[in-house]
Amino acid sequence: MLKLSFITTLICVLMIGAFAVQAEKATELFIPMEKSPGLSGEYTVMGKVEKVNSGAQSITMSGPSGSYTVKLTEHTFIYLDRSKAQQSNSYGTLADCEIGDLVEVKFVDNSRNKPIEWIKVQKAE
Amino acid sequence: MKPIAVLICGLILLAGCHTPSPPPTPDPDAELIEKGRQIFFNETFEGNGRTCGTCHPAENNFAIDPTFIATLPDDDPLFVAEFNPDLKENFENTRLIRELGLITENLDGFDDLANKFTLRGVPHTLGLRFTIDSSLGPRTGWSGDGSPGDGSLRSFATGAVIQHFTKTLNRMPGVDFRLPTDDELDALEAFQFSLGRQQELTLPMPLKGTVAKRGQEIFNDLTLGKCSACHFNAGANFSPNLPFPASGNLNFNTGVEDLPDQPQDLTGELVPPDDGFGIPGDGTFNTPSLVEAADTGPFFHNNSIETIEGSVAFYNGDAFNNSAAGQLIVQATGSGINLDGTQVVQVAAFLRVINALENIRQSIELLEPVAKKHHQTVEQGLRALDLAAAETEDSIMVLSGGGLHPQAVKFLKEALRLTNKAKHSVFSKSRLAREAIEQQEKARAELVETS
Repeated sequence: MLKLSFITTLICVLMIGAFAVQAEKATELFIPMEKSPGLSGEYTVMGKVEKVNSGAQSITMSGPSGSYTVKLTEHTFIYLDRSKAQQSNSYGTLADCEIGDLVEVKFVDNSRNKPIEWIKVQKAE
Repeated sequence: MKPIAVLICGLILLAGCHTPSPPPTPDPDAELIEKGRQIFFNETFEGNGRTCGTCHPAENNFAIDPTFIATLPDDDPLFVAEFNPDLKENFENTRLIRELGLITENLDGFDDLANKFTLRGVPHTLGLRFTIDSSLGPRTGWSGDGSPGDGSLRSFATGAVIQHFTKTLNRMPGVDFRLPTDDELDALEAFQFSLGRQQELTLPMPLKGTVAKRGQEIFNDLTLGKCSACHFNAGANFSPNLPFPASGNLNFNTGVEDLPDQPQDLTGELVPPDDGFGIPGDGTFNTPSLVEAADTGPFFHNNSIETIEGSVAFYNGDAFNNSAAGQLIVQATGSGINLDGTQVVQVAAFLRVINALENIRQSIELLEPVAKKHHQTVEQGLRALDLAAAETEDSIMVLSGGGLHPQAVKFLKEALRLTNKAKHSVFSKSRLAREAIEQQEKARAELVETS
């Protein structure tokens, strides 16, 4: 018979894996906006940056159904998408998100009630 | 023309025109699968010359190992870092490719290519239908996080093109490669799901060999081998019979990274630790299927163990028993895994036999269209015979390597001879393929009770 402690430990192990999901898939960096397979157009949201709140680690963006605010965490990846300018993409910080930038966001577990897993910020240069 | 000559010509033609049996019902996915096959082996995505088949060749179980790699010419795109100046540094370590079959991947990000990378073996792509799904989401690649996008097998090719196909380290889509289209991703997914077995084994099997039969008992014994907890039916999924908060193909930290004297660490090359799933990694790696294991070594994510016996013995050692997964086993059963030498060999013998049975199944599946003349083109027929021969060579190697079932090996050698003869025969391909199937079936009957 499996012991209760085994189950408890196992749940912890599996939960670690579940939380780490948000940090996987490193090649996402190089996938241009709106091209993420299985996500873009289905689970991600496009919009323009209206406000950046570095203190609250949040971005207010104009989405298809009005303005709303998305929350970033220490695990959120910020990808600077320079593919339109035929330049290499790179990692960025919240400071790279500027008002008017076109962005695509992917929520943790594809749930809009959760923080964002990654944000792609289109940069012309 | 003289009557006798006409008669001879007629007889020859008749010999070559054995009436084909009615073709099977067309597979609705056949066209998509064939399209995926063409892409998998031929499409470079305007990159550095590599295709999916560069690292996943059909003739080597859709994986590469140092022995196979040694047969490749120096200008093979696998070694692109040796002849493309833009990829000379921080793309691949071709010494480690050649010596140990290790491929460079930047699973923790692309911001420090010189120091932040992992070196991993190439997993086969067989039986994927049963080795990806979990209640926690799809799990692809050695650490389960190989795909961008939605993490699915369909999305895997996008990540692979970015990681492995690029012309330069800038990795700019449209410049260094092109990304697969949705149609191409659909076809690649269909093709990959078509590879290998299409159903799970059901253990215990009625095995005939004394050693393998005992190995199966140990494998399934949750107080002894304890293997079937994570490898239910020798596959890649956790046992549904155990109380568990998650199901399907799961990740565990089994301590492989803690093994002493790992080959890659002995080379003097830079080999950063591999932290597994996520960024930063949680130390876990994805559970592979064991049905296809015996002929797809070296083993584990870093090719650290060469033999199937060594891989089973790994679970006896401190690296596993002190790992998170090993400690779970201790907590659940009161002890770690502690098999004696005979038992290690018996479990390995079981894995060898189920692998040989899968090779035989695949060989027959490949030979049947030739025997029944259902292949559409000569090229398809020859390809099927080539692959059947490769599968048969594997089954011979896997059994004889463990000193198992010499009579079955004899039948398999005859099947191989007939298959090779069929490849070069103009008029007797079908008959030779049928005879090869008979030998394969005889070999199978040596391994397992057949109804």
